[in-house]
Amino acid sequence: MEFLTDVKLAIYNTLAETTHAPTVQEVAAQLNANVDDVQQAFHDLHKKRLLVPEPGDPTRIRMAPPFSGVPSSFKVIVGTKTYYAPCAWDSIGICAALHQDGMVRTHDAHTREPMNVVVRDGMPKPTPCVVHFAVPAAHWWDDIIYT
Amino acid sequence: MLLFRSEESVEKWCAERNLPVNPMITLDQLWEMAQAWYSNRLTEESRRPGPDEIVQIFGRIGLTDPFWDPKAP
Repeated sequence: MEFLTDVKLAIYNTLAETTHAPTVQEVAAQLNANVDDVQQAFHDLHKKRLLVPEPGDPTRIRMAPPFSGVPSSFKVIVGTKTYYAPCAWDSIGICAALHQDGMVRTHDAHTREPMNVVVRDGMPKPTPCVVHFAVPAAHWWDDIIYT
Repeated sequence: MLLFRSEESVEKWCAERNLPVNPMITLDQLWEMAQAWYSNRLTEESRRPGPDEIVQIFGRIGLTDPFWDPKAP
Protein backbone atom coordinates (compact mmCIF):
# COMPACT_ATOMS: atom_id res chain seq x y z
CA MET A 1 0.00 0.00 0.00
CA GLU A 2 1.41 3.40 -0.89
CA PHE A 3 2.27 5.89 1.79
CA LEU A 4 -0.51 8.34 0.90
CA THR A 5 -3.06 5.58 1.38
CA ASP A 6 -1.50 4.68 4.73
CA VAL A 7 -1.89 8.29 5.86
CA LYS A 8 -5.44 8.56 4.54
CA LEU A 9 -6.51 5.40 6.36
CA ALA A 10 -4.72 6.47 9.54
CA ILE A 11 -6.67 9.74 9.51
CA TYR A 12 -10.03 8.23 8.71
CA ASN A 13 -9.69 5.23 11.00
CA THR A 14 -8.61 7.47 13.87
CA LEU A 15 -11.60 9.72 13.28
CA ALA A 16 -13.99 6.77 13.07
CA GLU A 17 -12.61 5.11 16.19
CA THR A 18 -11.92 8.10 18.45
CA THR A 19 -14.10 10.89 16.89
CA HIS A 20 -10.99 13.12 16.96
CA ALA A 21 -8.91 14.25 13.99
CA PRO A 22 -5.24 13.36 14.40
CA THR A 23 -2.46 15.89 13.86
CA VAL A 24 0.48 15.41 11.53
CA GLN A 25 2.60 14.47 14.54
CA GLU A 26 0.08 11.91 15.75
CA VAL A 27 -0.19 10.26 12.33
CA ALA A 28 3.62 10.20 12.02
CA ALA A 29 3.86 8.48 15.40
CA GLN A 30 1.15 6.00 14.51
CA LEU A 31 2.85 5.06 11.22
CA ASN A 32 6.39 5.38 12.56
CA ALA A 33 6.98 7.82 9.71
CA ASN A 34 8.82 11.07 9.14
CA VAL A 35 6.81 14.14 10.17
CA ASP A 36 7.72 16.04 7.00
CA ASP A 37 6.55 13.13 4.84
CA VAL A 38 3.22 13.03 6.67
CA GLN A 39 2.88 16.81 6.31
CA GLN A 40 3.37 16.41 2.56
CA ALA A 41 0.75 13.65 2.53
CA PHE A 42 -1.72 15.99 4.30
CA HIS A 43 -1.04 18.52 1.52
CA ASP A 44 -1.56 15.88 -1.18
CA LEU A 45 -4.80 14.66 0.42
CA HIS A 46 -6.02 18.25 0.44
CA LYS A 47 -5.37 18.46 -3.29
CA LYS A 48 -7.43 15.27 -3.68
CA ARG A 49 -10.20 16.95 -1.66
CA LEU A 50 -10.05 14.31 1.07
CA LEU A 51 -8.83 16.65 3.78
CA VAL A 52 -8.99 20.35 4.64
CA PRO A 53 -6.24 21.69 6.91
CA GLU A 54 -6.98 24.07 9.72
CA PRO A 55 -6.49 27.60 8.35
CA GLY A 56 -3.16 28.89 9.63
CA ASP A 57 -2.04 25.48 10.94
CA PRO A 58 -1.45 22.82 8.27
CA THR A 59 -0.52 20.26 10.94
CA ARG A 60 -4.17 20.10 12.06
CA ILE A 61 -7.30 18.95 10.25
CA ARG A 62 -10.39 21.17 9.95
CA MET A 63 -12.28 18.48 8.10
CA ALA A 64 -11.77 15.10 6.54
CA PRO A 65 -15.17 14.80 4.91
CA PRO A 66 -17.61 13.68 6.16
CA PHE A 67 -15.95 14.26 9.55
CA SER A 68 -15.27 17.65 11.07
CA GLY A 69 -12.12 18.09 13.12
CA VAL A 70 -13.79 20.77 15.20
CA PRO A 71 -17.20 21.04 16.91
CA SER A 72 -19.97 22.23 14.62
CA SER A 73 -23.74 22.69 14.56
CA PHE A 74 -24.13 19.17 13.12
CA LYS A 75 -23.67 16.71 15.97
CA VAL A 76 -23.91 13.07 14.92
CA ILE A 77 -24.54 10.38 17.51
CA VAL A 78 -23.63 6.84 16.49
CA GLY A 79 -23.86 4.27 19.26
CA THR A 80 -21.92 5.68 22.20
CA LYS A 81 -19.85 8.04 20.06
CA THR A 82 -20.47 11.69 19.16
CA TYR A 83 -19.03 13.03 15.94
CA TYR A 84 -19.27 16.44 14.31
CA ALA A 85 -19.89 17.08 10.62
CA PRO A 86 -19.14 20.21 8.60
CA CYS A 87 -22.59 20.35 6.97
CA ALA A 88 -25.95 18.64 6.46
CA TRP A 89 -24.65 16.40 3.66
CA ASP A 90 -21.72 15.21 5.69
CA SER A 91 -23.81 14.71 8.82
CA ILE A 92 -25.70 11.78 7.33
CA GLY A 93 -22.52 11.00 5.39
CA ILE A 94 -20.97 9.90 8.68
CA CYS A 95 -23.64 7.20 8.99
CA ALA A 96 -22.97 6.24 5.35
CA ALA A 97 -19.21 6.07 5.94
CA LEU A 98 -19.52 4.04 9.13
CA HIS A 99 -22.35 1.88 7.75
CA GLN A 100 -24.19 2.43 10.99
CA ASP A 101 -27.45 3.99 12.05
CA GLY A 102 -27.34 7.22 14.01
CA MET A 103 -28.95 10.52 14.83
CA VAL A 104 -28.06 14.00 13.61
CA ARG A 105 -28.78 16.74 16.11
CA THR A 106 -28.89 20.17 14.51
CA HIS A 107 -31.24 23.11 14.03
CA ASP A 108 -33.10 25.00 11.35
CA ALA A 109 -30.49 27.45 10.05
CA HIS A 110 -33.02 30.31 10.03
CA THR A 111 -35.29 29.76 13.02
CA ARG A 112 -32.72 27.86 15.15
CA GLU A 113 -35.48 25.38 15.99
CA PRO A 114 -33.85 22.08 17.03
CA MET A 115 -34.07 19.37 14.38
CA ASN A 116 -33.14 15.72 14.50
CA VAL A 117 -32.55 13.45 11.54
CA VAL A 118 -32.57 9.75 12.36
CA VAL A 119 -30.88 7.15 10.17
CA ARG A 120 -32.34 3.74 10.96
CA ASP A 121 -31.99 0.45 9.10
CA GLY A 122 -29.69 2.16 6.65
CA MET A 123 -32.09 4.92 5.64
CA PRO A 124 -33.02 8.36 6.97
CA LYS A 125 -36.46 8.36 8.55
CA PRO A 126 -38.89 10.73 6.83
CA THR A 127 -38.35 14.16 8.35
CA PRO A 128 -39.93 17.45 7.27
CA CYS A 129 -36.93 19.39 5.99
CA VAL A 130 -35.17 20.76 2.92
CA VAL A 131 -31.50 21.24 2.20
CA HIS A 132 -30.20 24.44 0.63
CA PHE A 133 -26.79 25.09 -0.90
CA ALA A 134 -25.73 28.73 -0.96
CA VAL A 135 -22.95 27.96 -3.45
CA PRO A 136 -23.26 26.22 -6.86
CA ALA A 137 -21.44 22.92 -7.34
CA ALA A 138 -18.74 24.40 -9.57
CA HIS A 139 -17.61 26.60 -6.70
CA TRP A 140 -17.96 24.35 -3.64
CA TRP A 141 -14.20 24.05 -3.22
CA ASP A 142 -13.44 27.74 -3.78
CA ASP A 143 -14.05 28.06 -0.02
CA ILE A 144 -15.15 24.67 1.23
CA ILE A 145 -15.35 25.81 4.84
CA TYR A 146 -18.00 28.38 3.85
CA THR A 147 -19.75 25.93 1.51
CA MET B 1 -24.98 23.54 2.96
CA LEU B 2 -27.63 23.93 5.58
CA LEU B 3 -30.77 22.21 6.81
CA PHE B 4 -34.12 23.96 7.13
CA ARG B 5 -37.53 22.87 8.34
CA SER B 6 -39.31 24.34 5.29
CA GLU B 7 -38.85 26.20 2.01
CA GLU B 8 -40.28 29.28 3.72
CA SER B 9 -37.44 29.12 6.21
CA VAL B 10 -34.90 28.95 3.37
CA GLU B 11 -36.48 31.96 1.67
CA LYS B 12 -36.31 34.03 4.85
CA TRP B 13 -32.69 32.99 5.50
CA CYS B 14 -31.68 33.99 1.96
CA ALA B 15 -33.61 37.27 2.09
CA GLU B 16 -31.82 38.32 5.27
CA ARG B 17 -28.49 37.83 3.51
CA ASN B 18 -29.44 39.09 0.03
CA LEU B 19 -28.63 35.64 -1.34
CA PRO B 20 -30.48 33.91 -4.18
CA VAL B 21 -32.78 31.02 -3.32
CA ASN B 22 -31.09 28.12 -5.05
CA PRO B 23 -32.54 24.72 -5.97
CA MET B 24 -33.38 22.78 -2.83
CA ILE B 25 -33.07 19.06 -2.30
CA THR B 26 -34.89 16.51 -0.19
CA LEU B 27 -33.52 14.35 2.59
CA ASP B 28 -33.80 11.29 0.32
CA GLN B 29 -31.68 13.02 -2.33
CA LEU B 30 -29.18 14.05 0.31
CA TRP B 31 -28.92 10.45 1.49
CA GLU B 32 -28.19 9.30 -2.07
CA MET B 33 -25.43 11.90 -2.26
CA ALA B 34 -24.05 10.82 1.12
CA GLN B 35 -23.98 7.19 0.00
CA ALA B 36 -22.29 8.05 -3.30
CA TRP B 37 -19.60 10.15 -1.66
CA TYR B 38 -18.94 8.36 1.57
CA SER B 39 -20.00 4.70 1.63
CA ASN B 40 -16.43 3.59 0.86
CA ARG B 41 -14.62 6.49 2.52
CA LEU B 42 -12.94 4.26 5.12
CA THR B 43 -11.47 1.93 2.51
CA GLU B 44 -8.11 1.86 0.71
CA GLU B 45 -9.61 2.76 -2.65
CA SER B 46 -11.75 5.67 -1.45
CA ARG B 47 -11.57 8.92 -3.37
CA ARG B 48 -13.78 11.87 -4.13
CA PRO B 49 -15.83 11.42 -7.33
CA GLY B 50 -14.49 13.31 -10.34
CA PRO B 51 -16.51 15.95 -12.22
CA ASP B 52 -17.97 13.54 -14.80
CA GLU B 53 -18.92 11.06 -12.08
CA ILE B 54 -20.56 13.85 -10.11
CA VAL B 55 -22.70 14.78 -13.12
CA GLN B 56 -23.76 11.13 -13.43
CA ILE B 57 -24.56 10.79 -9.73
CA PHE B 58 -26.57 13.99 -9.67
CA GLY B 59 -28.36 13.03 -12.88
CA ARG B 60 -29.46 9.72 -11.31
CA ILE B 61 -31.17 11.55 -8.47
CA GLY B 62 -32.74 14.24 -10.59
CA LEU B 63 -30.29 17.08 -10.03
CA THR B 64 -29.82 18.25 -13.61
CA ASP B 65 -30.05 22.01 -13.15
CA PRO B 66 -26.82 23.80 -14.15
CA PHE B 67 -26.50 24.69 -10.46
CA TRP B 68 -25.36 21.10 -9.85
CA ASP B 69 -22.83 20.97 -12.70
CA PRO B 70 -19.30 20.95 -11.24
CA LYS B 71 -17.94 21.99 -14.64
CA ALA B 72 -20.24 24.98 -15.09
CA PRO B 73 -18.44 28.27 -15.76
